[in-house]
Amino acid sequence: MTNLGGIAIEHFIVVSAILFVLGVLGIFLNRKNVIIILMAIELILLAVNIQLVAFSAFLNDLTGQVFAMFVLTVAAAEAAIGLAILVIYFRGRGTIAVDDVNRMKG
Amino acid sequence: MLHTSILLIVFLPLLAAIVGGLGNRAFGNTVVKTITTGSLFVSCLLSWPIFYGFISGTATAEVVPVLQWVQSGNLSFDWALRVDTLTAVMLVVITTVSALVHLYSWGYMDEDPDQPRFFAYLSLFTFAMLMLVTADNLVQMFFGWEGVGLASYLLIGFWFKKPTANAAAIKAFVVNRVGDLGFMLGIFGTFIVFGTTSIPEILEAAPTMSGATIGFMGYRMHTMDILCILLFIGAMGKSAQLGLHTWLPDAMEGPTPVSALIHAATMVTAGVFMVCRLSPMFEAAPVALAMVTFVGAATCIFAATIGTTQWDIKRVIAYSTCSQLGYMFFAAGVGAYGVAMFHLFTHAFFKALLFLGAGSVIHAMHHEQDMRYYGGLRKKIPITFWAMMFGTLAITGVGVYHLGAGFAGFWSKDAILEVAFARGTGLGTFAFWMGVFAALLTSFYSWRLMFLTFWGKPRWIESEHIQHSVHKTPEGAGEDTTGGYQPHESPVSMLVPLGVLSLGAIFAGQVFAPSFLDDAAFWGSSIFFNANLIDAMHAVPYWVKYSAFVVMLLGLFGAWLAYIKDTSIPGKFVDQFRYVHRFVFNKWYFDELYNFLFVRPAFWLGRKFWIIGDQGIIDRFGPNGAAWVVQKGTVAAKKIQSGYLNSYALVMILGVVAAVTWVLM
Amino acid sequence: MDFLLSFQLSAPEIILAVAGLVLLMVAAFAGNKSAQTVTYLAIASLVAAGAVVVELFTNDALSQGADAWSGLYRMDAFGNFTKLLIYLATIGCLIVTPKFFDAKGEYRPEYPVLMIFGAVGMGIMVSAVDLMTLYIGLELSSLSSYVLASYSRSDERSAEAGLKYFVLGALASGILLYGMSLVYGFTGSTSYLGIRAALADGMGTGALFGVVFVLAGLAFKIAAVPFHMWTPDVYEGAPTPVTAFFATAPKVAAIAITMRIALDPFGAQSDAWQQIIIFAALASIVVGALGAIGQENIKRLLAYSSINNVGFILVGLAAATEAGAAAMLVYLAIYVAMSLGSFVAVLMLRDKDGNQVENISDIAGLSRSHGLLALCLAIMMLSLAGIPPLFGFWGKFVVFQAAVQADMIILAALGIAASVIGAFYYLKIVKIMYFDDPADVVEAKGETSRWVVLLVTTIFVSPLGYLLTPWLGDLAARAASAMFFVI
Repeated sequence: MTNLGGIAIEHFIVVSAILFVLGVLGIFLNRKNVIIILMAIELILLAVNIQLVAFSAFLNDLTGQVFAMFVLTVAAAEAAIGLAILVIYFRGRGTIAVDDVNRMKG
Repeated sequence: MLHTSILLIVFLPLLAAIVGGLGNRAFGNTVVKTITTGSLFVSCLLSWPIFYGFISGTATAEVVPVLQWVQSGNLSFDWALRVDTLTAVMLVVITTVSALVHLYSWGYMDEDPDQPRFFAYLSLFTFAMLMLVTADNLVQMFFGWEGVGLASYLLIGFWFKKPTANAAAIKAFVVNRVGDLGFMLGIFGTFIVFGTTSIPEILEAAPTMSGATIGFMGYRMHTMDILCILLFIGAMGKSAQLGLHTWLPDAMEGPTPVSALIHAATMVTAGVFMVCRLSPMFEAAPVALAMVTFVGAATCIFAATIGTTQWDIKRVIAYSTCSQLGYMFFAAGVGAYGVAMFHLFTHAFFKALLFLGAGSVIHAMHHEQDMRYYGGLRKKIPITFWAMMFGTLAITGVGVYHLGAGFAGFWSKDAILEVAFARGTGLGTFAFWMGVFAALLTSFYSWRLMFLTFWGKPRWIESEHIQHSVHKTPEGAGEDTTGGYQPHESPVSMLVPLGVLSLGAIFAGQVFAPSFLDDAAFWGSSIFFNANLIDAMHAVPYWVKYSAFVVMLLGLFGAWLAYIKDTSIPGKFVDQFRYVHRFVFNKWYFDELYNFLFVRPAFWLGRKFWIIGDQGIIDRFGPNGAAWVVQKGTVAAKKIQSGYLNSYALVMILGVVAAVTWVLM
Repeated sequence: MDFLLSFQLSAPEIILAVAGLVLLMVAAFAGNKSAQTVTYLAIASLVAAGAVVVELFTNDALSQGADAWSGLYRMDAFGNFTKLLIYLATIGCLIVTPKFFDAKGEYRPEYPVLMIFGAVGMGIMVSAVDLMTLYIGLELSSLSSYVLASYSRSDERSAEAGLKYFVLGALASGILLYGMSLVYGFTGSTSYLGIRAALADGMGTGALFGVVFVLAGLAFKIAAVPFHMWTPDVYEGAPTPVTAFFATAPKVAAIAITMRIALDPFGAQSDAWQQIIIFAALASIVVGALGAIGQENIKRLLAYSSINNVGFILVGLAAATEAGAAAMLVYLAIYVAMSLGSFVAVLMLRDKDGNQVENISDIAGLSRSHGLLALCLAIMMLSLAGIPPLFGFWGKFVVFQAAVQADMIILAALGIAASVIGAFYYLKIVKIMYFDDPADVVEAKGETSRWVVLLVTTIFVSPLGYLLTPWLGDLAARAASAMFFVI
């Protein structure tokens, strides 16, 4: 593997792992707002993208970067659908607080 | 030819039982009765030619394979029907008596609401009994053994609304379990020792095993003795020998035809049959044979004493059966298996006759079974009287040696006494004297039965059954001790079997004695035949030969004296020997003893197992415990499913973390 | 590269994708009135795609399967078998749907279009032999599913179901993607072939992480414990026809790709994941059963039932053998019929106002008012419980047989023991329908198309289904061997 300006692959992996964990924590520690969850999801996808591109560079293989482009595209679609669902939800319930999303349980 | 007929003989009754049992009310009484009785008569007609083939020496032993059964490791056995002399003898006994009993039941059970069930059970029993006697291996024999036990249970408890009948059925089943345990252990042991359950192979290897020992819990024991004693315990249970006899008198709760078929002629003789079938094994086991002799002789005398005191006509005959089975066993015990089988053969006819005759009397007397309320029936039911007379003459062994003529029992019972004497051993002589004394008692109680039933003045009005029938009390009847009751002779369907069996009781001994007693070729290899012993039997002194005849006359005289000449004698005798009489009358207190020793402790133990074991442990940690866990689990599962997104995500992440931790470890 | 061959091999997906786009245009320009027409056209296009699949399946020249699109996509017996199941389930769901929304006047043409896109995504998933193709197919079907779950705008529960499904689904996608990127980084390839080759001589910690994350992401899609939490809420909240869809087609697709991923690229390292699958299988069986017992809502109960059934299917995967894979496919085919039948029966439970009856207590005494419906539902329940002679028993039998053959006797024994717990709630429904006093809430109106679907599935599940065992077993064996043939 090549060395990108003195930064080893491990660094990229660690950074992406930290971002991933942050995103995950954002999903289940956040109790306020569903929008924050959407942002946390974006964070997870970005972590993945960083990792994909870094691997791609270190492996001298384009596949990872192509994969990252796909992920970006899908992320955009996902965000759109997520927001749309949120809008419908807000119309019905009048709130987007995470703690209120528990009509169904048991 | 033989293949087809043996298959028909054995499986027709099964077919009839299935069709009749399942058809039951859909087919109606007459159809089911016709099917079962018809198939039994076909079986019977097919059996006699086979028997005749062996008598005339034209037939040879054969094995007819039916189906493969078990192949497991070195344990392998098949369904196969073995036909040799011993089987042929049993075939004619079973099918003939069964066919006649089926026919008899048309009349006897005429008013019963559950006739199809009764006939189906009878046919089922016949099938199981035939499986038992045609068995080629011990496991198949055990199948038949348990099959007859089941049928016996069902038939004793046939009138299941009667609590006493249920109790008797359960008692018969449970007591037989004790014997069956011995039989099973015997089969297991035989398989361990011989490595096979095939009877011919076992018998072939048995003589070489004589003297071999086996270690068990630190003791060295004689292998063959152990095996044969275990097997004999099975025979004791089924044949109601002393110790395991308590079920047989109670079994009289069943309908009388059942008593005649199962508890006189066939099933109870299965033990004798088994000992004879395995005679080469027993010959290699001297201790076991001694035990057979002793138990047989003891039962013979023990049951006879009780028979002299009972009032119930069927119970008298039941104890008589028990006693006669004792004869058969000690005959086998001294090594005269052919003689034992001969007595089995003749006994089947005259004992079935006596039972069916008793049934006919009971039928005539409005279901009264107590002989104290009979009397003077000779003129009222003459055909039954004569049938019973022939039966009595046969069982008491009427016959004169020098005339070379006598009733069936004369030939077989005298042969047993002679052979026991001829054996020359101490135990043989003991058995001989026990047998002679039992013959005295046999004569006494048989004639007592006859005199009480058919002679003297009618005492009918004292019977509650008769009172119900004529709607009178003893006081209301006044001088007329008949109460105006008219006993009626039984219908033809009941009288025909009596007639046929009478022929058997009269001639079976005379006709077949040469084959059964002396003809080694007749028996072939089906039993162990000791020709020297038979020669010695014929050479016993005349006083031995006439001893049975003399005691028979003594018994007859005693009975005449006590029950015709001076009817106050029995009362005086009882007053004089109150304790002895009470002891004998109460059947030597066997039931009470067993109650105290086994039944109550068993109940106590059962209750403990139930409360502590079943409820306290199995239910608590089994079904109820599992249900409790599931219930709690359900509550927990619902609680975890909180509805909150955060907790759902948390569970997912925890899952990932747990999986990663697991694979890294 | 032979484009023509690639087009031919992926024709089912292309037909459906084109049909989906065209129908979307029709829907956009013709408006709500076209809903019925679009539904018929959607069914027609699914039938056409299915016919192509059958053609490819029976084409002797292609019996060994073939790669398309530079090794991103593979047409083989496995893909064809699962695709047929997916299409059949989708058609079944489409047939029974329109009437459901009639009462509310909510039926719109985009519904069948979304189903079509879902089917396209699932078809791509099961035929994917590259992580990238897999991801695209998976997301396509998932995004369609999120929208379908929240389809009923008038029902608050539907929106909540959509939201929960979306958030957790996105998290699962993130986990899956993260795993994929790790696998890519540590094996240097995204194609199954390349990954398999790289893992053949062992696996480092990084790749191990990747494998675990990928399987965790897939476990969410198949709703295996502990990634099942979304299932009861989404199944309850989504409109009933959508729930029926979720319980059938996406389930088949998700299990199929889990099987393929585990056995093909990760097949050489089965030791690494077998234990996890065993745990997930047993946990799913137990949690599914326990959860179902306490339910009063029949859709929720069926959700737990599907978790329970996934557990049984995973028993076949835990065996990690070809026989196990074939058994899973047989189970899947039977499960699709049972699940579809149950949900169609539930769909037919309407009250006087035409609303969905969901409370189990409301179907008390159903046998007296609606004998045939109760009978069909009872057969479905007993079959789900795996009671012979119904066909559901066969599925369980082959799966456990595979486990036993793979020397996993303890797993099989535990699974069978736990299935007893499951029998309880199925029997409870039968008992309520047949022995309780009538609640007289249900007023089912006969609708021919639903009856057709219900009766066809009922007959399939009935003992008559055993007539199909040789045929089904043969197809499943071919499909399973196709997956192992790639090796």
